[in-house]
Amino acid sequence: MSTVGLLRTLFNPKLLPSNVTQLQSLNRSPFLLGFLSNHEQVRNMSRVKRRNTHPGYWLSLKNVQKKDDKISADNLRFMREVIQDKYKNKSPLKVSELQIEKTEWDPKTKRSGVIARNIGRQQMWDKDGNKIVCTVLHVLDNHVIRYIPPEEYVKTSRGAIHFKNKTPLGCLVVGAEATNPEKFTRQYCNLFAEVGLMPKKTLSRFIITPNAALPPCTPITAGHFLVGQAVDVYGKTVDHGFQGVVKRWGFKGGPASHGATKFHRRGGTIGTGRDKARVWPGTKMPGHMGSERRYNRGLMIMRINMKYNVIYVKGTVPGATNSIVRIFDTLLPLRKFKEAPPHPTYFPPEDGTQKEEDIWDSRLHVFGSPSISV
Amino acid sequence: MLRRVVLQTFRQGLAQSFFKRNAASLSESAVTQHPIETSEEASEKSGSKQKNGDESGNTVVVAPPEFRFMYPEFLPDPTMERRNKLKEKLERMDMLQRRSIIEIPEFYTGSIMAVTVADSNSPNKFARFVGICIQRGGSGLQAWFILRNVVDRQGVEILYEMYCPLIQKIEVLRLERRLDESLLYLRDALPEYSTFPFEMEAERRLNNSVVPINPIKVKLRPRPWLERWERQNLQGVEDLNLPQRYYDRAKEVAKPWEKYDLMLQYRKTIPAEEQEKIYAEVHSQLQQQDLKRKIKRRRGPSSEQ
Repeated sequence: MSTVGLLRTLFNPKLLPSNVTQLQSLNRSPFLLGFLSNHEQVRNMSRVKRRNTHPGYWLSLKNVQKKDDKISADNLRFMREVIQDKYKNKSPLKVSELQIEKTEWDPKTKRSGVIARNIGRQQMWDKDGNKIVCTVLHVLDNHVIRYIPPEEYVKTSRGAIHFKNKTPLGCLVVGAEATNPEKFTRQYCNLFAEVGLMPKKTLSRFIITPNAALPPCTPITAGHFLVGQAVDVYGKTVDHGFQGVVKRWGFKGGPASHGATKFHRRGGTIGTGRDKARVWPGTKMPGHMGSERRYNRGLMIMRINMKYNVIYVKGTVPGATNSIVRIFDTLLPLRKFKEAPPHPTYFPPEDGTQKEEDIWDSRLHVFGSPSISV
Repeated sequence: MLRRVVLQTFRQGLAQSFFKRNAASLSESAVTQHPIETSEEASEKSGSKQKNGDESGNTVVVAPPEFRFMYPEFLPDPTMERRNKLKEKLERMDMLQRRSIIEIPEFYTGSIMAVTVADSNSPNKFARFVGICIQRGGSGLQAWFILRNVVDRQGVEILYEMYCPLIQKIEVLRLERRLDESLLYLRDALPEYSTFPFEMEAERRLNNSVVPINPIKVKLRPRPWLERWERQNLQGVEDLNLPQRYYDRAKEVAKPWEKYDLMLQYRKTIPAEEQEKIYAEVHSQLQQQDLKRKIKRRRGPSSEQ
């Protein structure tokens, strides 16, 4: 291979055929660009650990209550009465009763996120008639469970890792999807009972600055976000199961005909014979694909429906329909807030006058408005 | 009691339509397809239009069974993995909003339609296309249909998305059905079967309550064709006059067991109970919109005077 060709391939990894390993020489001296005499092994992206499929650090609680089939019908009825009594008397706290500190928003504030469910995709059109495919996210019944201040959070094992060489931030524990307490263990239900809530199916931690702290029992709704802002959505990608090398890594495989014997969707060579005569760790091979935790960053919110707590986000979101995702204010520096958002969260006005039920982005064509004439 | 009767007629209607739609696949002798009755006739027959008394005395809204043919895009995609009731409900609300602005009339594959679209590139900023509907599909806001015509001896097909806001007007010039659900074979047919004049005027229907079926048998051009039409059980095509080996191979490749596969049909359709609920939700708004348009049409010529 010519030196020029090698240089081109070095800087353009897409030109490398992925099913053939490349021994790459890289001379680090700036004066000897033309002479590539070293035979240093260089890791390219196929060798870098890419997948994070291990379960999250928070999945240590065993919440599921074992089913007691031997319970008598009378006892079951009694148990249900007890549950009803326990939760019936607790009415949801009004916003006026919550003690929310009035804090100032500044560009470095990190607000809470929200737990939502991806309920599908819907297309809409903009004012020029161009189609925009949006993902519909249903903001579930989010309630704040607990706020852990920075000094306390840093002492936890997770907090210590997170803020090793950084200034510590607080942690807001938010739960969503209230369910029947019979399904969970007593310890899990007590987490919520301390606060006066029914046990939630999903819990999440959001790292926030202390000025965005919220008291327990605060509801977080779709109004927490603004139409036109950018969000990051975090979810687990679609699980494709055990997949071959063509689908998993995009290999070309072999010819379908012209005499190819048993070589249509295979990987081909997995190493050379000479240097480092073994299969390198990280070699692309068939295996489990999908079910990875991913962020889709910078997605714009096109429309918010306050009545049904639904957000329409432009683009796609990791995961299948009806899966749980987490929505945060975006990290991308050029798409961050320039003006103050609802801080620390959105509260509907006390006097009952609601904001508009359905808020559309100015670029969108509202369905009830007249047809577009160019 | 009354509600049960009406539900029965709805479900009978569904059963009838099921057999009608699958008549081609049934191996028995040709099942005569009865033209679809529109809502007016059906309502006269059943004797109860919209609201019915329940045993308890609460009014229960039931839409006429013909709605599933007139507005098929209100039914969601049956794939279970993608279904969510809240999203479907929100989508239906958006669809009704759009329908309040523009009239999307009842049409079927085989109807001749004219669509006016806002187009920045055309001289009057509007482009009008007349053609025969050869296929329709999609559910919700993604519903589409394809119109075909032959212009200057060149076959042209245009796919229109029914809810696109660029569409100014959808007119049905001739409302009729054909013997097949999909008329893609017109691409291999003689061009006279796909040619319709752009100046064609809307034809008045002789019998307003029944959608006629055009029993025309189309002649195909000599082979090669775009698809293997002999394998598709087409009713609206004249005898293909192929060598016997084609038909033999079609038989080998055929899947005659599919007509007995109830689970396959179940997976492809929305259950009757859900259909009832969906149409009950939307039908009052649709009927209101229809009424308003009728009144406007009647008043229109008088107001001009």
